[in-house]
Amino acid sequence: MKTNRSERAKKRKQSASKQSNSRVDSVTQRVLGGAFDTIAREMALHQLRMAHCTLVTESEDLGCGLFASDGRQIAESGSSPLHCGSIRGYIQGASKKLNGEFYDGDVIIHNNPFMGASHAPDVGIIIPIFFKDELVGFSGCTSHWVDIGGAQPGINLDALDMWGEGEILSGLKIYEKGKRNETAWDMLWGNIRTPVQSQGDCMAQIAACEFGKNGMLKVIQKYGLAKVQAAAEGWMDYAERMLRLKIKQVPPGEYYAEGWMDDDGKNRDRHLKVATTVTVDDDGSITVDLSGSADENETGFNCPYHGATCVGVYSAVRSIFLDEALVEETIPQNEGIFRAITVEAPLGSMFNPRFPRGTFARLNQIQRVADNILKALSPSLPENLRSAGTSAHIHWLSYSGYDPESQEYWVHLEPESGGSFGGRSEKDGGDSVAVLCTNTRNVPIEHMERKFPLVCERYELREEKPAPGKWRSGAGIVRVNRMLVPTIVSCEGDRSYDPPWGMFGGKDGRPGALTRIWSGGRESLYSKFTGRRFETGEKLEIRSPMGGGFGSPFERDPLLVLQDVLDGLITIEDAATEYGVVIRESDMAVDEAATGIVRSR
Amino acid sequence: MIRVGVDVGGTFTDFIMMDDSRGRIFTNKVSSTPRDTSEGTVNGLLELCSLAKVDPSGVDLFFYGTTEATNIVVEHKGAEVGMLTTKGFRDIVHIGRQKRYLTYSIQVDQPWQKYPLVKRRFRLTVPERINARGEVVEPLDEQETVLAVRQLKSQKVDSIAVCFLNSYLNPENEDRAREVIKQEYPEAYVSLSHEVVNQYREYERFSTTCLNSYTAPIVGKHIQNLIQKLRSKKVRAQIMLMQSSGGTATTRWAIQRPVTLLLSGPAAGLIGGIKFAELADFENIITIDVGGTTADFGVAPGRLLRYKHLLDTRIKGYAAMLPMLDMDTIGAGGGSIVYVDEGGAFRVGPMSAGAFPGPACYGLGGQRATVTDAYIVTRRLNPDYMLGGKLKVYPEKSVAAFKEQIAEPLGVELEDSALGAISISNHNMVQALELNVTGRGYDPRDFALVAFGGAGPLHGCQLARQLSIPSVIVPPLPGITSAIGLLLSDIQYSESATEMQTSLSPNLGELEEKFSKLESGIVERLRADAFKESDIMIQRIAECRYIGQSYELRTPFDSGEVTPKTIENLLKNFHKTHYREYAVSFPDRGIEIVHIHVVGTGKVTSFKWKRIASGGSSPSAALKDTRKIYFEIRDKPKLISTPIYERNLLKSGNTIKGPAVIEQADSTTILEPECRAIVDKVGNLVIRVR
Repeated sequence: MKTNRSERAKKRKQSASKQSNSRVDSVTQRVLGGAFDTIAREMALHQLRMAHCTLVTESEDLGCGLFASDGRQIAESGSSPLHCGSIRGYIQGASKKLNGEFYDGDVIIHNNPFMGASHAPDVGIIIPIFFKDELVGFSGCTSHWVDIGGAQPGINLDALDMWGEGEILSGLKIYEKGKRNETAWDMLWGNIRTPVQSQGDCMAQIAACEFGKNGMLKVIQKYGLAKVQAAAEGWMDYAERMLRLKIKQVPPGEYYAEGWMDDDGKNRDRHLKVATTVTVDDDGSITVDLSGSADENETGFNCPYHGATCVGVYSAVRSIFLDEALVEETIPQNEGIFRAITVEAPLGSMFNPRFPRGTFARLNQIQRVADNILKALSPSLPENLRSAGTSAHIHWLSYSGYDPESQEYWVHLEPESGGSFGGRSEKDGGDSVAVLCTNTRNVPIEHMERKFPLVCERYELREEKPAPGKWRSGAGIVRVNRMLVPTIVSCEGDRSYDPPWGMFGGKDGRPGALTRIWSGGRESLYSKFTGRRFETGEKLEIRSPMGGGFGSPFERDPLLVLQDVLDGLITIEDAATEYGVVIRESDMAVDEAATGIVRSR
Repeated sequence: MIRVGVDVGGTFTDFIMMDDSRGRIFTNKVSSTPRDTSEGTVNGLLELCSLAKVDPSGVDLFFYGTTEATNIVVEHKGAEVGMLTTKGFRDIVHIGRQKRYLTYSIQVDQPWQKYPLVKRRFRLTVPERINARGEVVEPLDEQETVLAVRQLKSQKVDSIAVCFLNSYLNPENEDRAREVIKQEYPEAYVSLSHEVVNQYREYERFSTTCLNSYTAPIVGKHIQNLIQKLRSKKVRAQIMLMQSSGGTATTRWAIQRPVTLLLSGPAAGLIGGIKFAELADFENIITIDVGGTTADFGVAPGRLLRYKHLLDTRIKGYAAMLPMLDMDTIGAGGGSIVYVDEGGAFRVGPMSAGAFPGPACYGLGGQRATVTDAYIVTRRLNPDYMLGGKLKVYPEKSVAAFKEQIAEPLGVELEDSALGAISISNHNMVQALELNVTGRGYDPRDFALVAFGGAGPLHGCQLARQLSIPSVIVPPLPGITSAIGLLLSDIQYSESATEMQTSLSPNLGELEEKFSKLESGIVERLRADAFKESDIMIQRIAECRYIGQSYELRTPFDSGEVTPKTIENLLKNFHKTHYREYAVSFPDRGIEIVHIHVVGTGKVTSFKWKRIASGGSSPSAALKDTRKIYFEIRDKPKLISTPIYERNLLKSGNTIKGPAVIEQADSTTILEPECRAIVDKVGNLVIRVR
């Protein structure tokens, strides 16, 4: 069943062939690297500032990049990891569909998950770059559209197949040789619920790609094509070299971790296994094998292999080994990173579903793969790279309804990705933060309340204690939203069953939870539901999972325990029972003698 | 009138005095006194006064540029802050925008969580709520508020930030909370979020408010202390402080709203740079101020100051939603470390050897090669004339550092490695400049580059060449251009409000009313500062976007009564701005106004910079030496015999052909081959770059 065995051999060959490439002097090399990076980042700013939907403008659920003529990634905007890393797949998929036929002035739209897309709502825009009549590269970006049609507005997790999720666009040229294809353009907007808003987002994407194209052309004009190409290759080699160097810090061998997803959104409580075998080779390459994981699901709870599974693994391995907080230099995220990593997933499994399975919801599984990689490797990593389990989840929420006045749907998509990190060596986990493969922003409450018929009643750290450890986990968030009108709500969530893992004696974390609050009381909800109606006045409460603890709680500095008590993160009782630290209520200080006795027991 | 500008830096404090009646200028430079900077300030001022033979009581205006507020935030030394916030929303400033500070990272810390402006234990919630229409749906629970304030009082917090949801639409509950605090804990310094920044997006507004509370008590003490010290020496001058907006404020305002002082450091340099470019008759200006560790950039098309988008204004990771000049700072300067990294890439900075241990050539224990060492290796800097000869350096240490750390690992010649380091350092600056110039749709060929700071004139010609900027201006006193900029700054206050309207059906009356309300507050403040009506300038600005967009662009708004014509002009301005920023516009679409701003300026009387003596075109009288120096000719280092000139001996009209080096005590200008400099009437070096 393994289709991707050959990948590894191919990668080795690719790397070897790169050695013979012509080289640029080190100064030009550095300068062009900066230029690629700057253009890609500026593309993202163009996109998010011009766009319309909150999901793009406030949450920044987008990605931009520059690519070689064969689709390999040269530079990216560093926005949302799953967006950025996947664009090359869109280019390769569209190129296949179009038999490589590109013209100057083309604008291509693409979202086919079986042709490289990350999932259907992440719509890609691709512009080929021509220099002296030669195709020299691509400028591309993706953005999560709030609606692409399909059975339900916003989120279509419980869909039979990919067509049930919405419009599927495969290498469609909305502009050809500079001329807009009006028929395609009309069809595009005629088949989604938010034509005006999404058109605004689409225009922003086109403008961003144009910016990328012009930026790249300017650089080529100034330095010449050969130098630019050589520098691009040089940076790929560099990134690969740096990553391999760091991977070699781990002893070669096989490492394994597993975890369980809640369910597929339809077959309730049928937990789904995520098995992750990480093999480290002595040449600094790494293979992540997902064999043994659950089979493909009959809902949209599946990960497109190229656009999601691979990209998630690349992002995770890079984050562990070339952690931006620890590596002094900026290491570009480009094809070189991908070359050191091989991803294997059996065809027909949740991580490599067969055509035409639904793949709308893939982020939670990807998060767990990333988290499993960390779990498998953590004991063998250099000390400063270690970590306990993270929240590794997302609650993707969609609130929507029809607005007769504008004749459009209003759709509020909120990626509740504010989970928490687990404890880390020498520091606590961060609170209420997007971890691993997610990195979206929350929507300001004042923006949401102004724009949508929703009221936020609570948004703060969860009151339950974070996972104890010498270094404790971060705290997750709790949010309560109240509906001002009857609202269709969907959620793509997970991690309400298998809690984040503790490490080296740290305690396990806490799962997430969803609750409907109504006049009759509280109803616990599954983490995945599609198209559920909430009546006026009803509320949805979201609690994000909390990471695991790191090291024995009895080794935690008593003063840090005291701080947590003072900050209301744990109670005095927690301090005593979980940490063995006795705090005197009279003066709110650590009773050192009593603590010594408790801790020595 | 006698005015003094004082720019307090990390290492030195620079002074300039301008005496209008005598038409004279005096300067002074003393070591800063970091423990209490007012000491260095006052002593340096007295020195300057005796140098100028002026009685301290004769100084009229005292312009003060301080990084005090910035340092409090950067070094996490702020006041103990308490917070009152809406029940259910205790952690808004802690959660932030939930986005990870670094994308590819597991070990990352959110800076605002690692060093919270307000500890969680001091963030107390009270029942109250205003809805998105600005209606009070739940009045402030005063009893709970009293209890909360008492609790903060018992914990001895220094200041209290009041941060309620939707307060930008209706200040009622925040105002009421202030009353309660006044009654219960009058000693506490209070900031209300709707007063500090009256705009939507709660995290950014709350964070800005907390920054204000965090800095206020300490900045207040600092200013009071300075005033006291100055008064005790009979200095009665009015004191004005530079703000991040590029305008100055009186001490009264600065104590109330110290958050406006954050990141004001580079602002004065931009203003000084613009002034000298203006004296040389240039219209479109780019400034670059390079010191030991950082390089600051500013762009002023039409000599106008530009502002950052309010969502991009942060300090050390903390959101600070305030008008800030659109300036960029990168870690690049003389002290930037040059190295070859593990992966074999050639790097310069952003780490810096700083003033201590400093570059290898200082011989203070610094082992690592720096950009200054590259200048020594290429013989562009005169080792015997650093700081006018006051700083002893060891060229052999530069050579050794470059040989071992750079040339050998890269397998290149020593000179190549040093020239390469200079190129990379230049390129880092070029990157930052490109983002701000070509990246914003400005054509560098229409601009002049003003290069100053100790190291700016070393890089100016090369930067201009790479960016296709045709002219470089090196002001007469590059090292104290920022202090001069202080003297030239007008007093400026700005106020803003969220005001949602569309161009399709604008409520002209309401716009007029809202603008007028902001204006009258500002005019009142300027009048209190003793400005005459004729010296007060009011500017209206609307932050707009196409209907449906979420990101606004700062757009000029006509002054005077709001009429349909005003809206028509606003539309025109907006399309133009949108086109400049994004290279597209949609002229058939409507726009929405989101926020309105009023900027009030109190004009400080202008001054004339003294002309220097004129001479013929030959600079030979200033020629003091020739030295063999490495230049890059067609990508190859070449040793060229280069004339060295003394800047103080140059006369206006002198023309110097590159290659040449022009030395003065506080800076060295490198005139690249094929460039030509003319000394203008005020002593600027105006360089035509080829």
